[in-house]
Amino acid sequence: MSTLLQQLANGVVQGALIALIALGYTMVYGIIQLINFAHGEVFMVGAYGGLATYTWIVPESVKDVWYVSLPIVLVGGVAVSVAIALLMERFAYRPLRNAPRLAPLITALGVSVFLQEFVRNFYPNATAALPFPGVFVQGQLVIGPIRVGWSGILLIGVSVLLSIALQTYINRSRMGRAMRATAQDPDTAKLMGVNPDRVIVLTFVLGAALAGVAGVLFGTYLNNINTDMGFQTGIFAFTAAVLGGVGSIRGAVVGAFIIGLVKTLAGQYMPGGTQYDYVWIFVVLILVLVFRPQGLFGEPERVRA
Amino acid sequence: MSKLANTIKPFARPLAILGGVLLIVAALLPWVTFALNSGKYPDLATLQFFDAPFAVTGFRWHILLLGVLVLIAVFAPIPSKGRVVRSLGWGGLAVALINSIFITTEGGGLGAITAADGNAAFGGIVGIVAGIAVILGGTGIGIELPAKWKVKLSTPLAYLVLVVTFAAVLFAVAQTLTAGGQGGPANPYAGGLFLSFLGFAAGLLTALNGIGLIGWISELSEKHRVFSVVVLLACALLLPFTNAGSEYWMTVAANIGIYAATAIGLNIVVGLAGLLDLGYVAFMGIGAVVAANLSGAAASKVGIDLPFPIAAVIAAIIAGIFGAIVGSPTLRVRGDYLAIVTLAFGEIFTRSAQNNIGGLTNGANAIPGVPPLDLFGKEFNEPLNIGSVELPSGVLYYVLIVLLVAAVMAIFANLKFSRIGRAWIAIREDEDAARAMGIKTGKAKILAFLVGATLAGLAGAVFAHKNGTVSYESFKFLESVTLLAAVILGGMGSIPGAVLGASLLFVLPEKLREFSDYRLMIFGLALVLIMRFRPQGLVPDRHRRAELAGEDVGGVPVDEVHEHDTKGATA
Repeated sequence: MSTLLQQLANGVVQGALIALIALGYTMVYGIIQLINFAHGEVFMVGAYGGLATYTWIVPESVKDVWYVSLPIVLVGGVAVSVAIALLMERFAYRPLRNAPRLAPLITALGVSVFLQEFVRNFYPNATAALPFPGVFVQGQLVIGPIRVGWSGILLIGVSVLLSIALQTYINRSRMGRAMRATAQDPDTAKLMGVNPDRVIVLTFVLGAALAGVAGVLFGTYLNNINTDMGFQTGIFAFTAAVLGGVGSIRGAVVGAFIIGLVKTLAGQYMPGGTQYDYVWIFVVLILVLVFRPQGLFGEPERVRA
Repeated sequence: MSKLANTIKPFARPLAILGGVLLIVAALLPWVTFALNSGKYPDLATLQFFDAPFAVTGFRWHILLLGVLVLIAVFAPIPSKGRVVRSLGWGGLAVALINSIFITTEGGGLGAITAADGNAAFGGIVGIVAGIAVILGGTGIGIELPAKWKVKLSTPLAYLVLVVTFAAVLFAVAQTLTAGGQGGPANPYAGGLFLSFLGFAAGLLTALNGIGLIGWISELSEKHRVFSVVVLLACALLLPFTNAGSEYWMTVAANIGIYAATAIGLNIVVGLAGLLDLGYVAFMGIGAVVAANLSGAAASKVGIDLPFPIAAVIAAIIAGIFGAIVGSPTLRVRGDYLAIVTLAFGEIFTRSAQNNIGGLTNGANAIPGVPPLDLFGKEFNEPLNIGSVELPSGVLYYVLIVLLVAAVMAIFANLKFSRIGRAWIAIREDEDAARAMGIKTGKAKILAFLVGATLAGLAGAVFAHKNGTVSYESFKFLESVTLLAAVILGGMGSIPGAVLGASLLFVLPEKLREFSDYRLMIFGLALVLIMRFRPQGLVPDRHRRAELAGEDVGGVPVDEVHEHDTKGATA
């Protein structure tokens, strides 16, 4: 019983992380119907950006004072993520906006491989996993049999908070309305005075910022980052977005928590253990795609090509 | 572009002539001011002209040739003059740039290509300037469509032309394969010289295309199809007798062949049916694992030793079954979602193989000791004697793989023009319309997966025997990406494209050993750049060309009208 509770708690932390990334997938897909394969890499780059900020920018004297260094590291990570996302939108995706569907997908794949290999080759010592500083309260929260690191709690808190903020922004603000309009019908939105380029850029920026936050918090939680993590976690996040219904913010978050739980529980209870937790997530993905392609919260009438 | 062309129009001819002359001058000038860290830059590039007036070899000889050809092209009455001149210019620019970059990065610094130690060496810079001048001149003369020749030949004459052409192709392939020599620490310039040769060859080929020769010959071979196929096959089998006939090059050629066969299989799924498959290499892995287990390798759990043909067929069938299973979600899932499903499948395969699922894959230890193939008691990894000629070991594998590639090509070509092939293309273009026309789209898509996976399984079986070990490492996601890059680089849906793409992507790492860390990074970048600038690939399929290049009102592919063709630079 205590193992189950502990695994549930771990699953929730995983879910919180995945949610932050899944939001980026779901928003970009909602607006330009592109699976941004490279979004997982944006998350990875965010983590490395955060590490670089900690190593070279945060002054030695405040490195141990988490409430000073964590915000700086977060800003650094987010800045790098956003910059990469902007570059990739401008130079890789925008020229292909009216190209056949396969073209941007292949481009996204190329960007993903490129970013991963770029960081591996040019970040100092990044060919192996790098230690990430624990820029938060150390130690664990203990509730009965469950132990969760404080950085895990932070991850959950930030994830829930940011999802709510994003949902509110999209539903209430002027730009949010423009985003929803573009997602529904780009041409009509244009006629109504929405600048689609600005909306798309904003979408990429929001998604990348969330991914950057996720990257830094992930590093803080696991104290270890590597260049493969973006690809793997990106796939989980994508699965979560599909499970929740691509295009739906709420769906992405719910899907993410389900995926997080599936991952930890399958690792504990399914044959093969953690070696195969990956496989169960893909089984979930395939089952969802086959039996409910629109996902849990998706709109079934939307035609997907 | 057209604005630029108008501005330089009055100076176009003098500019091209100047560029041509400069190319010749560049070839005769010294290229390096001193011997580099790892020895002299090849082919006496350090020598002054007056030291060795006629010893212009290697890349300097290529540049000289390009310069002379530019002058001939400017003065001779040839069709599509601008296009030909521009192609030659791209070739010259590529050769000059590649060699200059190599000289500077191989420890020479900027001093090596300008002036240092009282020596001057401006060959590289003059070459670059000349290349640009020729390109501008060509653009100014005016870019027309590649010329079409109306010459009709009688059958024997046509046969002669085809034989000569394919012999030339054989020669070119042998030259290209061995250009720069074997890469590695012992030969630091292999990569640079190989790339430089590619630049030269690409410039020349695009020029020949511009003049209409290549179009004419491909029409000719289309007309005499059976004959061409036979001659081409014979030429491929003759490769061991050329200067590429050493053990090393045979091994490289055989590896390229395996990946080319797999790439053609992938081309069915991606190029014809338009289904993006990101886990394709897993089918090859399944084929390899099955074949290894059935052939009496020491680590095999199954412990039976079947003859290769039977094992290969079983491997292909099992891979095909998995293909159909993976393809089955296509009934409900479309496009990008399908890509994710296939990616997931590929990852599941790697994970399972890594963890030694069912004791079949031997996990991280791989399956060692897969016995080599044998025929009439002759093992395939031994040297072969035909009469008095001794051929190096690996030749038999090369022959087997050439036959495999030929078989796969034949299957592909027949499928493409069959009922089911047309159905695939229809699905690729518009699935709903295809369904409305009565095509059973679900069945067709699963069939595409099945056929593609079967071919990959077959290639995997050969791979297992040829390499002797089967490790999950050979079938990871990035290998799928490399194969996909090969298909896309060559041109989706086109057979020569898949072979060309696979050759380039698997030869380059052999040549550019010192850049092996950057291999995947460059592949990633290449995918982005191809999709941006030449989505139809190097050798576009005719239908695909129209589709991916976009069309103008008259139905002529835009690419043909407004030029931004950068063949010379990408090669």
